[in-house]
Amino acid sequence: MNNTNRALNRALILVVGLLTLLAGAALVAITTLPVIRADYRASAPRVHGELTGWFKTIPLAETGTSWGWILILAALVLIVVLLLIFIFRQGHGHDDTLLREDTTPGGATVIDSDVAEQAIQHDLDGRPELLASHVSTYRVRRTAVLKVSVTCRRGESPRQLAEQIENTLTALDTLLGRHIPALIQISGGFRARLSRRTRVARTAHAR
Amino acid sequence: MSAPAPYSYRRILRRETHSSRAVLAIAVAVAVILLCLYSGAEIILMMLGQRALLAAPQDMLTSLSTLASTPIAVPVTTGILLMVVAILLLIGAFTPGRRARHQIPSTRAAVVVDNEVIASALARNAARAGNTHPDNTVVSVSARHAIVHLTPTSGTPARRDAIEDAVQEQLAAYELYPPVRASVVINAQGKVGA
Repeated sequence: MNNTNRALNRALILVVGLLTLLAGAALVAITTLPVIRADYRASAPRVHGELTGWFKTIPLAETGTSWGWILILAALVLIVVLLLIFIFRQGHGHDDTLLREDTTPGGATVIDSDVAEQAIQHDLDGRPELLASHVSTYRVRRTAVLKVSVTCRRGESPRQLAEQIENTLTALDTLLGRHIPALIQISGGFRARLSRRTRVARTAHAR
Repeated sequence: MSAPAPYSYRRILRRETHSSRAVLAIAVAVAVILLCLYSGAEIILMMLGQRALLAAPQDMLTSLSTLASTPIAVPVTTGILLMVVAILLLIGAFTPGRRARHQIPSTRAAVVVDNEVIASALARNAARAGNTHPDNTVVSVSARHAIVHLTPTSGTPARRDAIEDAVQEQLAAYELYPPVRASVVINAQGKVGA
């Protein structure tokens, strides 16, 4: 429901995975394959020499160090900042506005998400078969979508629960005069495992 | 009241039944950040002329360039470890990462149910059909299979066909997607007082 960029997640894992694989394979190849080992022994010191030579061509004032290190530091800082943005970009996508319609030329009608969330929440709160419920609104591809997540008691029929919540949603449709897309998520979880199986329900069960 | 707008739940259902790989991606990002911070710290210490934490950056480069002339035990072990980590990351990047959930068809909304909920509902019904307590029924639900393990109460035989019928009937009512096939295993030994 949230707007985590999943392709980006996988891309990051893929790139880091490939780089790690490359580094690991290079280490093993250099140390164990005679041909590569000989090549590396011949060329590595030259590359190393060129690199340190380059560092010496751009000295940093009289400090004995080099601008090269500053450049590397800047690159490291950039990577860290980008990754931090990446981490804090995960999740999100909640929306406060359920509907916005330009009903007249002079004004618009705005319905807050709270209206639908509280209406559904109120209807679900009294139900004995539910241990907990939470209603939230997400913006998915520019449409507000309700997410109704419920934790149910052990042994409840998921189909029946889904139908009951659908009825609640249909009632909301009537109330609003609009059809709001919704996701119903039924989970068990830790609280369900600890709770008693039996309950006293308005629709009395045989057991 | 306006006609219900046709809304496609495909994207939502796909996202709700598959992992976002957020945990793995964040772990990878944190690891890379730590590596960057460490390298940065070593560079700054070197520039200030302080003692290195582990090794100064120039010394690292030097030892990297003489890698082919030094003992191989450490670099080979490191290399193999890196490759193992890399393969795990690549598996994470390419596998679909299915979550333990099923879809239930609905006309009004998209519905996803944890496998755990399906299992406990099946357990309740199997126990009722087998004349035993739900605590003596263990059900595991995976993407396409449900396995019902039932321990009958001593003295009251559990009828396999009755249990199978009850489980089948429930599964048929749920209309899960992906579809789930059930198999029932009845313990040969009963349990007293269950």
